[in-house]
Amino acid sequence: MTHLTVDKPPRSRPAPAGRPGPLGRFSASSPSWLFAAPALVVYVAVVLYPAAAGVVYAFTDWSGIGQEMSFVGVANFLTLLDDEQAMGSIGNTLLLTLAIVAVQNGVGLLLALGVHAKLRSRAMLRVVFFSPVVVSPVMVAFLWKYVYNPDPSAGLNGLLGLRVDWLGDPSVALWSIAGMVVWQYAGYSMVIFLAGLEGVPTELHEAAMIDGAGTFQRFRYVTWPLLAPAVTINLMLSTIGGLKLFDQIFAATNGGPGYATETLSTVLYKQAFVFGKFGYSTAIALVLALFVAAVSLVQVYYLRSREVAS
Amino acid sequence: MTMTDLRNARMSRAQFFRMMGGLAAAAAATTACSTRPQTTASTGDGQAVTELKFVGVADQKAPMDGLLTAYQQAQPSVRLTASYAPTDQVQTSLRTQLGAGNAPDLHVVYPGSGSAMSMSQIAEAGLLADLSAQAWAATIPTGFKPAFQLDGKTYMYSAGSSVIGAVYNKKVFEQAGVQEPPATWSEFLALCGKLKKAGVTPIALGAQTPWVTQLITYALVPSTVYAKDPTFDDKQLAGQASFAESGWRQAMEMYLELQKRGFFNDNPNGTTFEQQTSMVATGKAAMAIQVSAVLPDFRKAASAPDDLSMFPVPGADDAASVWIPAGVVVGLGVSAKSRNVEQAKAFVDFLGRQENINAWAKAIAAIPLTQDAGSTVDPAVQSFLPFTKDRAVPFMDQRWPNAEVQPVHFAVVQELLAGKATVDEALKKMDEAYRK
Repeated sequence: MTHLTVDKPPRSRPAPAGRPGPLGRFSASSPSWLFAAPALVVYVAVVLYPAAAGVVYAFTDWSGIGQEMSFVGVANFLTLLDDEQAMGSIGNTLLLTLAIVAVQNGVGLLLALGVHAKLRSRAMLRVVFFSPVVVSPVMVAFLWKYVYNPDPSAGLNGLLGLRVDWLGDPSVALWSIAGMVVWQYAGYSMVIFLAGLEGVPTELHEAAMIDGAGTFQRFRYVTWPLLAPAVTINLMLSTIGGLKLFDQIFAATNGGPGYATETLSTVLYKQAFVFGKFGYSTAIALVLALFVAAVSLVQVYYLRSREVAS
Repeated sequence: MTMTDLRNARMSRAQFFRMMGGLAAAAAATTACSTRPQTTASTGDGQAVTELKFVGVADQKAPMDGLLTAYQQAQPSVRLTASYAPTDQVQTSLRTQLGAGNAPDLHVVYPGSGSAMSMSQIAEAGLLADLSAQAWAATIPTGFKPAFQLDGKTYMYSAGSSVIGAVYNKKVFEQAGVQEPPATWSEFLALCGKLKKAGVTPIALGAQTPWVTQLITYALVPSTVYAKDPTFDDKQLAGQASFAESGWRQAMEMYLELQKRGFFNDNPNGTTFEQQTSMVATGKAAMAIQVSAVLPDFRKAASAPDDLSMFPVPGADDAASVWIPAGVVVGLGVSAKSRNVEQAKAFVDFLGRQENINAWAKAIAAIPLTQDAGSTVDPAVQSFLPFTKDRAVPFMDQRWPNAEVQPVHFAVVQELLAGKATVDEALKKMDEAYRK
């Protein structure tokens, strides 16, 4: 058997000066953003660009369907200032966020401290407390509709011997929503606090113990300061989550009864899909986005300043 | 080649790349298929098949399933894929599809002008095909034209009309010693009192489901508003009449009187449509004020469907001035942007044949749009027929000028039931929404 072999021509490209690193042309001196570039391209294409392009609608009167659309300047933003319903929903949004941030993180911290202890069942408990996080928010809302059944013999009422119309009484409904959100996401806060707790060096605790510090003192003066980064992240994530909350409200009460659980998210949804005012809805969305960004920035700035290194 | 062979086989680099290339090509081919749905495939015998997509409201599933099968048999060259969603969701998902420019070929359309998916709103945006040329369109009764037509052109198909009244459980009425349905408002209140004394909830109300909140007002307003002034809608559109200064006030007060006297179940704001249905079907409650189109839901939930019937809610103390709400049932439109407009229109034309109108109307207890010897009217709505000629008015929202009044009505009724608003405040909010 004969082979026809052709000699490969020598490479015309000169060899690189230094020894190439394990990543070939990428080396430690390459700018770091280059490594994120592929992901960044995808992110820009499917998230940032559409979001930015959508901003244009905030300055139009587009109905959401059809071709007709005209530029209306800042009219949508002026309408927002006069819109009683949207303004009223800001109060609800803030109250709901406050309740969720306070309770979710409080419960999350307690759960974390609990499952951090050297309990035999702690691995299982961690899974149990975390599991609601992975359930779809709409499923959680439907599930809690049963828990919140107003019948005195059913659900939570039956268990506690109460006669509360959890989702139907306007003075209770907002807190009922907060309750189901806390139930779902306390496990998420717990996981972040747990990560923080794992990072607290045991030597510090031992030293404090030798100095005669009790359990509470060790928490207050050793654990708590070192937990600051976890607190920052948790507070920020739960604030953003609270301000944007939509799925659970939509599925459980649809903003009702009356306007009792209407938040900025449900208002902007209704403006777009029920009233057919897509332009106005985008304007509300833009205001909400800027508001969330502002709150988070202030929060991060303030909370970062009190973090200490372990 | 067995699995072991495959695992042990040596593969050259070239073979490997060829194989991966093949996979990539196959993947590209499948993606191409899924992103660009083929609108024409072929049947076994080589005939071209047109695929039509249909999105309907859940209440239409019963009549549509039968008619779709019948159409496929008659027209093997058309394949219809149907999907259904409940009222609240279908409006959102369809609007999104319409906005994104990928509307299904056929889809649900609400009569008149008062909702985001209503005939006039979508037709105005140029998204509905003109159906005026079809034979059935020429037979639309004059009173119904505003529900079907915009500027004289027909954009929606509907099989007929439904009525709002009291769905009641005959067994429960018998056990409470009630002989026959009431003819006046006082008789209605007396009936509720009697039922309450007998230990059953007189009226089940599932006001947590937003659209249910409106039905009691809708049942009363024909008697308190339109019986006195049949031109109320025109005056309101001209700015000469308002909710606050009309019989709407009386209707709202009557609504609240029912609650004050304890004729509703506890916590209506925490009760859903499904719970309401089951309360009447199982005899826990005597009746529910509902639209006849959901009568099949009540029958499905009951162990003896024949126990359920309906009667008009008398909104006045003089039996002669009792009027009823009779509205065109949720309809169907053809997307103007469909690539198969003609085939989709042909299906609507098929639905418009008298025998198919009859079949549709029968399945949802509606009164057929046009009638022949084969038309049947559900026995449950027989008692409404004497009213349909000159003492019936379309559902109020069908002539409201925008999509905002209806949701405001839902919300203020919930507030009234919760005691968080007065009738004055409620009607003021509705008037404000009307003027937007």
